[in-house]
Amino acid sequence: MTERVRIRVDDVEYEVDAGRTVLQALDDCGALFPERDGKRPEQTDALIPHYCWHPKLSIDGSCRLCQVEVRAGADAPPKLAIACNTPVSEGLVVDTKSETVAAARQGVMELLLINHPLDCPICDQAGECKLQDYAYTHGVDHARTREPRRKAKKRVDLGPTIVFDQERCILCRRCVRFCREVTGTGELGVFDRGDRSVLETFPDEPLDNAYSMNVADICPVGALTTKDFRFKMRVWFLEDVDGICTGCSRGCNVHIGVAKNAVQRYLPRRNDAVNGTWMCDDGRLSYHEIAREDRLTTCLVREQAIGEDSPQLRPASLDEAVAAVAARLRPLLDAKGPGVIAGIASAHASNEDLRAFKTFLDVLDVDTIGLAVARGDSDDLLVEAEKGANGAGARAVGFGALAPVADRIRGGGIEALIVLGHDLFADGSLDARALAGLDTVVAFDTHRSPVERVAHVVFPVRHAAEKDASYTNSAGIVQPVQRAVVPGPEVRDEGDFLQRIGAALGLAGFETETETEAESKAGDGAE
Amino acid sequence: MIGETLRARIDAEIARFPVKRGGLLGALHIVQEGQGCVSLAASKELAAIFDVFPVEVIELVRFYNFFHESPRGRHQVYVCTNLPCALRGANVLLKGLEQHLGVGVGETTADGRVHLGREECLGACANAPMIRVGGVYHEDLDLAGACAVLDALE
Amino acid sequence: MQKVPFTTGYLTAHCGDDAYGTLDGYKAEGGYETARRVLKKGTPEDLIETLKASGLQGRGGASFIAGQKWSFMPGAEDDTGPRYLVCNADESEPGSFKDRLLLERAPHLLLEGILLAAFAIRAEKTFLYVRGEYGEAIRVLTRAIEEARAGKVLGPRALGSRFAHDVVLVRGAGAYICGEETGLLESLEGKKGQPRKKPPYPAENGVFGRPTTVNNVETLCHVPHIVEKGADWFRGIGTAESPGNTLFGVSGHVVRPGLYELPLGTPLDEIVFEHAGGVAGGRKLKAVIPGGLSMAVLPAGQVDVPMANEFLRERQTALGTGGIIVMDDTTCMVRVACIITHFFREESCGQCTQCREGTGWMNRIVSRIERGEGRFEDLALLKDVCAKMEGKTICAFADAAAWPVQGLLRHFPQDFQSHVTHGQCPYPGSFVLA
Ligand SMILES: Cc1cc2nc3c(=O)[nH]c(=O)nc-3n(C[C@H](O)[C@H](O)[C@H](O)COP(=O)(O)O)c2cc1C
Ligand code: SF4
Ligand code: SF4
Ligand code: SF4
Ligand code: FES
Repeated sequence: MTERVRIRVDDVEYEVDAGRTVLQALDDCGALFPERDGKRPEQTDALIPHYCWHPKLSIDGSCRLCQVEVRAGADAPPKLAIACNTPVSEGLVVDTKSETVAAARQGVMELLLINHPLDCPICDQAGECKLQDYAYTHGVDHARTREPRRKAKKRVDLGPTIVFDQERCILCRRCVRFCREVTGTGELGVFDRGDRSVLETFPDEPLDNAYSMNVADICPVGALTTKDFRFKMRVWFLEDVDGICTGCSRGCNVHIGVAKNAVQRYLPRRNDAVNGTWMCDDGRLSYHEIAREDRLTTCLVREQAIGEDSPQLRPASLDEAVAAVAARLRPLLDAKGPGVIAGIASAHASNEDLRAFKTFLDVLDVDTIGLAVARGDSDDLLVEAEKGANGAGARAVGFGALAPVADRIRGGGIEALIVLGHDLFADGSLDARALAGLDTVVAFDTHRSPVERVAHVVFPVRHAAEKDASYTNSAGIVQPVQRAVVPGPEVRDEGDFLQRIGAALGLAGFETETETEAESKAGDGAE
Repeated sequence: MIGETLRARIDAEIARFPVKRGGLLGALHIVQEGQGCVSLAASKELAAIFDVFPVEVIELVRFYNFFHESPRGRHQVYVCTNLPCALRGANVLLKGLEQHLGVGVGETTADGRVHLGREECLGACANAPMIRVGGVYHEDLDLAGACAVLDALE
Repeated sequence: MQKVPFTTGYLTAHCGDDAYGTLDGYKAEGGYETARRVLKKGTPEDLIETLKASGLQGRGGASFIAGQKWSFMPGAEDDTGPRYLVCNADESEPGSFKDRLLLERAPHLLLEGILLAAFAIRAEKTFLYVRGEYGEAIRVLTRAIEEARAGKVLGPRALGSRFAHDVVLVRGAGAYICGEETGLLESLEGKKGQPRKKPPYPAENGVFGRPTTVNNVETLCHVPHIVEKGADWFRGIGTAESPGNTLFGVSGHVVRPGLYELPLGTPLDEIVFEHAGGVAGGRKLKAVIPGGLSMAVLPAGQVDVPMANEFLRERQTALGTGGIIVMDDTTCMVRVACIITHFFREESCGQCTQCREGTGWMNRIVSRIERGEGRFEDLALLKDVCAKMEGKTICAFADAAAWPVQGLLRHFPQDFQSHVTHGQCPYPGSFVLA
């Protein structure tokens, strides 16, 4: 057990671990704005502005903005010190509001602003700029200097993901430390001395790593911006919804930035148990898939038999599609029983939908079930090999390995397959040919995929950003998500479709008109 | 390319420190002196030798006055222009040298012989004005004396 | 070789003697006898007590009590690994050239001081960091260290004792900030010389992660004398608070610029007018910077002050490195400010906001005033920038950049005002800028 000490910050007492610094200790208590990932400071937050300190990077101590007055005890004389590097000790008293502190902060702010370009109106960071925020809260006019501002490089293309504005950089070195300490790629450095100091890469070498876009998040000003979001829109037009990235089983927590009923960006949302404060670039950019052209927007039903010429699948109404499934499965069930039916779950489905799927299969008495999941690269930081947010959830519900299911399909023992997602071909044990002979393939998917070539009925389902649901990450942490955008009217949860199919099949406990009504009453109003 | 001789000297430099990186400043001196500059290619090689990021080597090259990314002339001549020297005419001397060489501060003569620069205090305040030519100080100079020193350089 | 004229005291008594720079010559003057005795028979504790009793203050600029600094190092009970002594020979404070004399002319005195200090703090190695520009000093020290190794002064049994010690000479590469002790440690580690935030302090976590003490060249050169002759002897020189001799470097507009080894507390006017022969060319004194460029200037009327911190403090300045820069009545203080602010702008390591931006801003303001484009508000603005820098940064560099500007504004506001009013320099005969 770590020793605990009591410190007082203004009027609030905290019990904190010994061996931490003031900012670290406050952050440990979840009391440090904005590091606890708050949008607005709350009454209970300790308000110590800081630029260079970041909870997941080494202490730099250079911006000097976090200065506070500390006293070794109530009677000791006050000393101006930086909160990010001052160790806590029993009885330490921290004053964040004294005149001395205010003057020190104001001094830092003014000195930062003398060389800062006056281009907030055209700066992409406006609205999320800590320089702008603190200048406002600390009452600093945008510099009273008549000296010409320092000229530096504008719009530097740093690599595939990031654009850099050297004039706006306040040299907090967060990005430098990120690339050295977190990714271990070390692309960035600060060259030269004094007021000639500039952030640079090795000449002609890009900033290019799997996590590069995090530097834009941690940059307190608009010096580093992502090409992806640059000039897309002003951030104050964005609504912020808590979500998770579905790129892999890490399930990194994200802020979903929404406008006009469309996801505009993902930003990492702090969760120390999952992703800390970071996310990978692939995951961050994965929001693009939500509104991609190949999204399924209606049910599809096959007209002709497999192998004949197109059009093989045609759009169909919900009722048509449900009826088509029932028409195919009912005779099969009656003739051959549930033993010829198999169910394959997906790591992209939510816990709720997976449970619904499992219930559906249980009621049918189908026991050839498994989980299909795509695998890919992983690393030591966040990226997991399992490419889907909910493999753990699927396994917890009872979906095991895919191999036994694949074996039975290849062995000819299966005639109908109900499949979530499109990862069933991922491990190579199954392919379109192996499924071509099946009597019935019912698929539930977000996007068009090769599964369509063998499917008889396809249901368009929702992306994690489109639903209220939960996902279980690789560490077993169940993570709720909220609906951020509303999909097309025909796009529904797997569970909703299954409910209808169950009812059409006349299964016990399945009825129609379930969530749909409630939903339309709630209004499709995420915009 | 850092050749074998320089590499051997760098290895000897590393051996003087409990931690490899301690030898990096010395290695930069060795390369700067041996090759007249620390080129980008050399920076990369040093980064590999010292297990540091290449950008860190450039950081050093750009932080310390002694190191340059490209060559600066055979002889580097610096006039101290800090206060003690300035009070005793260092800037008059500097202007005289600019005329004598036909170059400005920070420039190198067309034949690549002399690079003229100014420096902060060199610790020769009682013998002002003065110039530093590489590792050699020439003190208590007047313009004629300084020109003579420069003219004697090969 | 340095041609600087100097007067002698115990430190520099033999500096005029070429042989003194050799091992034999140094031994001929009784050199290394003190260290031999202490290393063989003494204890680190006694040595630290002697140093504390002597009251020797560091001569690198901060005047910290040397014995006290040594006592911060972990004691014998800590056996977690090596600890180091670092000798700061980066002398770059404008107006300072005292260490250079000692390095070039008394290398073995320094090595003996190093051995004693290293013994006191139980250091197995000393890193001797010499500014890169000091080519002659580097040559002399390289030779001296080789001689000392060959003569078994250094090595596994230094001076025949059980104490093992070696000295590693390291060349700086042109950056004033590497004189700041933690900037120096960073530089030794092969990094940019950017000072470290504290804590940790060097005595807990210094160079290469080990407990380290940093001492100035001159500081270490006093040590053999103190140990040989005793703390009381040392206390008998100088003032009660500031004992011992020091090397005052006098430069600028004086008849005899040079180094003067004199007791601390010697009046500044005595140094300027008697030892250095007064203002050159029969001109009148205008101002004196008493302790290197980082210290606040004193106007002619205030030079009747003993050169020791307890007296200089009352005049809002300090001893610094004892580099005395003398300016006559032709000198334009705005130009002086230009040089000072240019220097600090050039040399700021650039990590702290206030220092990086403040040094540049001050220099731009001062240059503008010098060009005749100043405004009256600029004086208040300069003071305000100084206040924003002072006491709020990682190292004392920002203070050192603010103090001299504050001093100039305190004592010579008329020079600045006159530039603003007339749009030009009121001193036609002043020294010129580049
Ligand atoms: C900006 C700055 C520059 C310094 N430069 C030097 C220097 O060149 N030489 C030196 O001995 N001390 C210098 N110092 C002081 C050192 O930080 C340190 O106090 C000193 O080396 C300790 O030795 P001492 O206690 O023996 O004086 C400098 C300090 C600062 C803040
Ligand atoms: S680019 Fe941004 S994060 Fe990087 S040093 Fe500059 S201000 Fe800091
Ligand atoms: S690590 Fe996985 S969950 Fe996290 S952002 Fe990347 S793909 Fe998404
Ligand atoms: S005060 Fe100046 S020199 Fe010292 S660490 Fe800060 S920026 Fe560097
Ligand atoms: S946050 Fe503490 S100095 Fe920057």
